[in-house]
Amino acid sequence: MRGLALWLRWSWRDLRARWLQVAAIALIIAIGSGTYSGLTSVSAWRQASYDASYDALDMYDLRVALTTGSFADADRLLAAAAAIPHAADIAAAEPRLEVPIQVDASTADELVLVPGRLVGVDVRDGGPHVSGIATVEGRGLRPDDAAGDTVVVDEHLVQRHDLAPTGTLRLSGGRELRYVGTGLSPENFFPVDDRGSVFADFAVVYAPLSTVQRVGGHPGQANRLVLRVRPGADRDAVEREIEDALAAELGDVGLTVTRQEDDQVLRLLYDDIEGDQRFYDIFAVLILAGATFAAFNLTVRIVEAQRREIGIGMALGVPPRTIAVRPMLVGAQVALLGVAFGVGVGLLIDELMADLLSGFFPLPVWEFAFRPGIFLRGAALGLALPLAATAVPVRRAVRVTPVEAVSTTHRTASGGLAPLLSRLPLPGSSVTQMPFRNVLREPRRTLLTALGIAAAITTLIGVIGMVDSFVATIAAGDDEIVGDTPDRLTVDLDGFALVDAPEVTAITDDPMLRAAETGLTLGGTLEPGDDGIDVALYTVDLQSDLWVPTAVEGDLDHDGPGLVLSEKAAADLGVGVGDDVTLRHPRREGVGYRWVESELAVLALHPNPYRFIVYLDDEWASLFDLEGVVNTVRVAPADGVTVPDVQRDLFGQEGVASVVPVTDLARSVRDQIDEVFGIFRVIEGAVLLMALLIAFNATSINLDERARENATLFAFGLPVSRVVLVAVTESLVIGVLGTVTGVIAGRLLLAWLMAAIVPGTLPDIGVVTYLSASTVATALVLGVLAVTIAPLLTVRRLRRMDIPSTLRVVE
Amino acid sequence: MGSVPVIELEAVGRHYEVGDSRVTALHDVDLSVEPGEFLVVLGPSGCGKTTLLNLIGALDTPSEGSVRVAGHALEGAGRKDLFRFRRETVSFVFQSFNLFPALTARENVQFAVDVARRGRPGPDASEVLERVGLATRMDHFSHQLSGGEQQRVAIARALATGNPVLLADEPTGELDFRTGVAILELLHEQAHAGVTVMIVTHNREISRVADRVVELSSGTVVGDGPPPGGTADIASLHW
Repeated sequence: MRGLALWLRWSWRDLRARWLQVAAIALIIAIGSGTYSGLTSVSAWRQASYDASYDALDMYDLRVALTTGSFADADRLLAAAAAIPHAADIAAAEPRLEVPIQVDASTADELVLVPGRLVGVDVRDGGPHVSGIATVEGRGLRPDDAAGDTVVVDEHLVQRHDLAPTGTLRLSGGRELRYVGTGLSPENFFPVDDRGSVFADFAVVYAPLSTVQRVGGHPGQANRLVLRVRPGADRDAVEREIEDALAAELGDVGLTVTRQEDDQVLRLLYDDIEGDQRFYDIFAVLILAGATFAAFNLTVRIVEAQRREIGIGMALGVPPRTIAVRPMLVGAQVALLGVAFGVGVGLLIDELMADLLSGFFPLPVWEFAFRPGIFLRGAALGLALPLAATAVPVRRAVRVTPVEAVSTTHRTASGGLAPLLSRLPLPGSSVTQMPFRNVLREPRRTLLTALGIAAAITTLIGVIGMVDSFVATIAAGDDEIVGDTPDRLTVDLDGFALVDAPEVTAITDDPMLRAAETGLTLGGTLEPGDDGIDVALYTVDLQSDLWVPTAVEGDLDHDGPGLVLSEKAAADLGVGVGDDVTLRHPRREGVGYRWVESELAVLALHPNPYRFIVYLDDEWASLFDLEGVVNTVRVAPADGVTVPDVQRDLFGQEGVASVVPVTDLARSVRDQIDEVFGIFRVIEGAVLLMALLIAFNATSINLDERARENATLFAFGLPVSRVVLVAVTESLVIGVLGTVTGVIAGRLLLAWLMAAIVPGTLPDIGVVTYLSASTVATALVLGVLAVTIAPLLTVRRLRRMDIPSTLRVVE
Repeated sequence: MGSVPVIELEAVGRHYEVGDSRVTALHDVDLSVEPGEFLVVLGPSGCGKTTLLNLIGALDTPSEGSVRVAGHALEGAGRKDLFRFRRETVSFVFQSFNLFPALTARENVQFAVDVARRGRPGPDASEVLERVGLATRMDHFSHQLSGGEQQRVAIARALATGNPVLLADEPTGELDFRTGVAILELLHEQAHAGVTVMIVTHNREISRVADRVVELSSGTVVGDGPPPGGTADIASLHW
């Protein structure tokens, strides 16, 4: 017991003697293990929050949607559901009426003209009882709201445009709706427009069913039926029977039944957890690896500083295992300290992530409960890795011969690479040359310090380089979409229309426009490919003066039909310009469509990183049997007309679903991605702090090891400023070495991440590998400047140095 | 004397490879030391004194020949056996003291007791420190002690082990004359108490107080016998 007490006391004194370095290592471990725990638990609480949110609002189990443009009597829908053999298994069923709208929610500061959806829900008895609406601000819907045009606006629109929680909306046609609050509903936890775009600016407005029936001109009708099935009931049977019953009831009206797990928004949210977690894992592993290497590097130095004491222990006959107790105890205590800090860091990261995510995905329920299991795993890693890192140098230290360990001169005996320098005719006095000689004299020490700095810079470049790459990728997409006509707008029609239909000519002949080009936007699939690539096919005039895609390879001039693919799609399909690809696309047949396959040549490649964007010259719309049919118009304002003027002008025109400036499309994507990058910034902050600590610590230990030499310089009468200058110069050389190594290794790591990890995580985006000048500058500042000035922090210690004691053999 | 030697070296050599050349630190050294002898190994810097001490203390292994200490043959002994040998047979006193700086004087001595005795009852560290005149400095750390005090702690640490052989490498090298003399007295007392004390030094004056002086030059024994003029009293030393 007395022995244990002595060991503990001893190790505590070791810690106290190097408290600054110990604190720095502990913080590095804390950042490593805390980031790991924090990032890993994000998925757990996101999953828990989503589950709880869906549960809280009684998300539908089955959702029946009638074909676009079809309506049925609401009571007949309910009656059909109530008549199925398994009707007793239905816990609740409610009809809904959803109609497309255009919303003017403009404020004094911003023009807000957005497409949207008016959702009529059953508000009787405190409903809706299926896929309910959680009130965020203001109040929810009440039965007496049915009498007036009172609605609740989805929280996303309010948040996106910073709208007041209550107010008035204007629909196209001039009708005004009074919104009394904001809310969230499971089917719209993430706003997805009617074309399935997740980045669109889209307004979901909830209202009593009768209000929507009145506003939409469909009295007594509905086009949705949402159902909840009792727990343990045979949902398959209910689904089958509902489908059959409604098909029989509605005759020619088509319908689709969606299960909860197939809900587009739900899948998007849950898949997002998985995708994000992959990135978090990468970051967590990178940071943990950086922290482990740093801990290893610094522990090596601390153990080496104890080399002579280890030798004394050997001379006294202390068994190697016992000798190892002391440094291992130090390592364990540093690790424990790091893990304790790590819990704090993890919780902090959790909190920051929670703030960011709850802002990005407003949900009715967020469950940020502490996850002890995950934190324990992080703690176990935080303990095990530094201990393992300590064990390696300790094992090496106790394996040297005692005479070597106890020696005071063995490590400097050879002079390292210093003789190389002596052959170089360097200018300056021996004092001027000293830093360079120091660097070469002990190459191992130099290498360890440089590697410590390099580890930090590598992690920094790896993590921030990923952010840079995503930003550059989005910028490339923005540039391509906007092109030379940033005042362009895209007018989406609310369906297919003949090019000479009045609602189309009203746009194309609009005097406020200098140009208007009609086109088609269709879905399709490109093959060959493992599972084919889902694409959005745009017909455009490839000779247009308004806008054409950039051909980075191939030529837009052509004689026959052909596609302009993204470089990413071409690479994934393994095709190039001139090769044929199979396009699976819809083709009009009678009043419906049939999926057909067409072999088409690749005319050119465009640089937009989104691989799903495919262009076809509009003269080949015959492929779809849709000659003369359009569903989108690209327009540009006439001279003297502004983009908002055009938006206001076209808002509410018949057949127009939305009018969106192209810069808004780009901004919309950027806004969404910026939110995600907010999360990356949290990680970036952790990495920066860790890098700074590693750099400082490595330099600080290096200076400690030079204490005796510095004392010798003082003994020769050199002033503190000169000695500090020597140290600063030496640090500068090591900092440059470490930083350059780190930047190169980081760039290689980034290339590997982009080539090996990102394609599997973001298959639809051709992420470019890019390292911004600011990231490199940050690395340089951190790696060179921070390391170089670190000796200045020791000036006070140097001034107070007890020269005679330091000159004695260091014990 | 005439008893079984506690230290026996036969044809011991120690060579080091330095780059392409071979440096001989010791060559064909024969030495036999009786229990309780107060022996001084004398020679100039680089003559192989410390190498000889390291070989006897099992800190180093000979390139050739055999070393036997207190009945233990060191050549070919395993690493574990060598650690045990150092723990239970020899004690070191170094020129540069080699105390553990993070331990107090008492803890340094207690540590040596704990290591050598491994659970068996041993002397009280405080008593040993009192014996070397450090009763009032026991709870000081090495940086709070003078050179002489540090060397006393080192000697106390060696004594506390109760090992039969005490090896001292230039024990007065970093001390002033008065302190050095005091340290020599302490070591001399140990020899009288039956401990075999071997001191290596370049200071010929110190050799005057030895029972026997072994003189080394360029790694070879060039002299072995009592000091010229017989063993002097420590009080008569001056340097």
